[in-house]
Amino acid sequence: MHHEPSLFARLARRISLVLGIGAALLVSAAWYYAETAADKAYDRLLVGAALQMAESLSVENGALSARLPTSAFELLGLAERDRIFYRVIDTNGKTVTGYDDLQSPVSPDGARDGLSISEGTYKGEAVRIVRATRVLADPSVTGHAYVIVAQTNEARSALTRELTLRATILVLIMSLLAFVGAMLAIRYALQPVERLGAAVRRRDPHDLTPVSVDVPRELDPFVSSINHFMGRLNERVDLLQRFIADAAHQIRTPLTALSAQIDLLGHDKLDKAGRQHFERVQQRTGELARLTNQLLSHAMVIHRADSIQLEPISLVDVARRAYRAAIPITVDPDIVISFEAPDDRPFVLGDAVSLREAIVNVIDNALRHGTDQRLEVRVRSDAIDAYVEVEDDGPGIPPEGWEKATQRFATSKSHEGSSGLGFAIAQEVVNAHGGTLGFKARDEKSFTVVLTLPLYKGSAT
Amino acid sequence: MKRFTAILAALLLALTCPALAAEDNRTQFPAPQTETGKLTIYSTTDLAAMKPLIEDFQSSSPGISIDYIEYLTNELHALASEACRKDQPLGDLLLSSSVDQLLKLANDGCAASHTSPETARVADWANWRDEVFGFTYEPAVFVYNTRKVPPAEVPRTHVELADLLRERLDYYRGRVGTYDIRLSGIGYLLAFYDARQTNTVFGRLLESMARASAVARCCTGEILEEVASGRLYIGYNMLGSYAYDAARRHPDLRVVVPRDYTLVLSRGALIPESAKRGDLGGQFLDYLLSERGQSIARNNAFYFSETGGLPPDVDGPQNLKESGIAQPIRIGPALLAVQDWAQRQRFIEDWSRSLIELNSPEWTRE
Repeated sequence: MHHEPSLFARLARRISLVLGIGAALLVSAAWYYAETAADKAYDRLLVGAALQMAESLSVENGALSARLPTSAFELLGLAERDRIFYRVIDTNGKTVTGYDDLQSPVSPDGARDGLSISEGTYKGEAVRIVRATRVLADPSVTGHAYVIVAQTNEARSALTRELTLRATILVLIMSLLAFVGAMLAIRYALQPVERLGAAVRRRDPHDLTPVSVDVPRELDPFVSSINHFMGRLNERVDLLQRFIADAAHQIRTPLTALSAQIDLLGHDKLDKAGRQHFERVQQRTGELARLTNQLLSHAMVIHRADSIQLEPISLVDVARRAYRAAIPITVDPDIVISFEAPDDRPFVLGDAVSLREAIVNVIDNALRHGTDQRLEVRVRSDAIDAYVEVEDDGPGIPPEGWEKATQRFATSKSHEGSSGLGFAIAQEVVNAHGGTLGFKARDEKSFTVVLTLPLYKGSAT
Repeated sequence: MKRFTAILAALLLALTCPALAAEDNRTQFPAPQTETGKLTIYSTTDLAAMKPLIEDFQSSSPGISIDYIEYLTNELHALASEACRKDQPLGDLLLSSSVDQLLKLANDGCAASHTSPETARVADWANWRDEVFGFTYEPAVFVYNTRKVPPAEVPRTHVELADLLRERLDYYRGRVGTYDIRLSGIGYLLAFYDARQTNTVFGRLLESMARASAVARCCTGEILEEVASGRLYIGYNMLGSYAYDAARRHPDLRVVVPRDYTLVLSRGALIPESAKRGDLGGQFLDYLLSERGQSIARNNAFYFSETGGLPPDVDGPQNLKESGIAQPIRIGPALLAVQDWAQRQRFIEDWSRSLIELNSPEWTRE
């Protein structure tokens, strides 16, 4: 079966994606701001130097002269590794000093008064270029003189890199923290799903009552769907059981009549073969009656398990009543039948009717399929549990058949016709009481069915 | 072409500085063993100072033969700028005491970057972009002749020197020598940094020197010779290494490290971008910066070092660095201001006007 990715993986993927995109955006923004900041910082140096140089221009002997201050270069030298190019242009456009071929990309007319800052290339290097204008109004020299200062971008790039790197480290740490936090939160948030799954998994297959696990609001639709489905299933099962009970009930009446008619029919007038057939019919009708009774009993037991409030009962009383009910008056007098009970009368929490039905079925089974000479019914208890044991001297069921024995309509002796529901009913009842049905085989001549029930610890009424 | 420019430079040199031009400016150090590579060094450092270093280098790298070509600072700069502009190779390593010129070359993109464990040891102020490295620590000192300058008159600060020249004008007239900054890049650099000191000191000193008809020479060697011989009494702004070397040879010559402020120059090294064997240049540079190279330099070549004390018999503070008077010339973009040609032109004009033109022409050497 193809598995959809887990909720955790889905959320983790989505969140990492969002965090990744967020981190990328932040880093881009950090880079952008860092570049702006670095440009601003170093542009100030550049402008400062250009202004200092422009300030140093003077007219001497009718000609423009530049006494470039060392401090201007020292200012530029704050960007330690950057190369510096400069040019001083007089009012006639002639170079006074500096690099003859240095040009500002901005036309002088555009920014006649003041400063222009621009990107450019000089000597094959990307540079930042500043041009400062100095207006001269000397009688001999009149017009605009310019100072162009250019500086390579190493310090800017280094500062940008450093700022971006630091911001990136912070962003990465934050993203990592956010991711870890989100993962923990997802795990925590998904815990109710696990709990619900476990609760549903742990359920007894017969338990069709609504799920009653506390879940977050978001899981309510899911739980109510489960419950709705279980409700419908429960209704179906109920319907089916009722149908079986009704059917069994409906069959019983004509069946009783049929039995009576067969008994009335007598077999005196029949020849030997006919008598044989007659007896076969009689036997089969008996089996059918018993099966019908068992079906009814089964339906009743299930119904009671769902609806009857359990109460403390004396297991000995129940077992004794069952013993009386199960042993027919017409029992073979050769069979030694006994009932043993302890003096302390163990109590269990249970439904007396169902339990009696269970024990009756076990005894009945033993009489029909087990007992040869002896049948013992014992009640005993220890510190935790109470036991009802039905022992016979028949061959019993071989251990490999024990598991199958408690299934419906299964018997170890198929040729004897289907006994079918006896053990199933007993087990159903015992399980509903929180107990178990087990088998014990001591030797060839001893086979015991043990019903184990938890002892009632409260005060008996 | 390279040979042509070298010859041209040699001719120029012959014109400007006969002492140097008299000898061939190219010295070859053949590889002690089978030659595996040839390193060409263009340098402004006297061969005598570099020789121990070159020989020690060859003892550890015996496969390398070295051509050592000597120039004056300005000529080397002109050659290197030209070569860089035309993108022609010029040597594998440039050594110059005019670090401002090396810095200009690096700023113009003529230098190759070089990093190694050895370059990591270089102090911040002596390394720019891993392209220009300072490999020495040389104070600018005074020298004097003990026979001519009485002990009481020995100047120990710039102000004392200015005062001495003023007070004993007649005695010292024409007897003080310094660099001709028109010819010597290192002289210009030192003068520029002198001028950056509190103005009064340099102004006074320049004025005093002018009045005393100070002599300007192209090279340290010449002045040292003249001071040693007694023709000049005092030499100003001499490179400590050369001065100390001369003092060891001439008992009359003494070195004074000024106690008010001392400019400290670090000789620069640069590997040209277009170097054919930049790897060998880097190897030699690493050697110069290494513990071993520095130790040879301290003992045999340049004598002063950043960390140690002053060499014996030098008049000055115990430890230059700790006394706080040392002013290292930082290898950084500020040197571009020194190299600005308008600036340079005006500075030299001012300097010439005050020092040269006031004097009778016979003291000048143009």
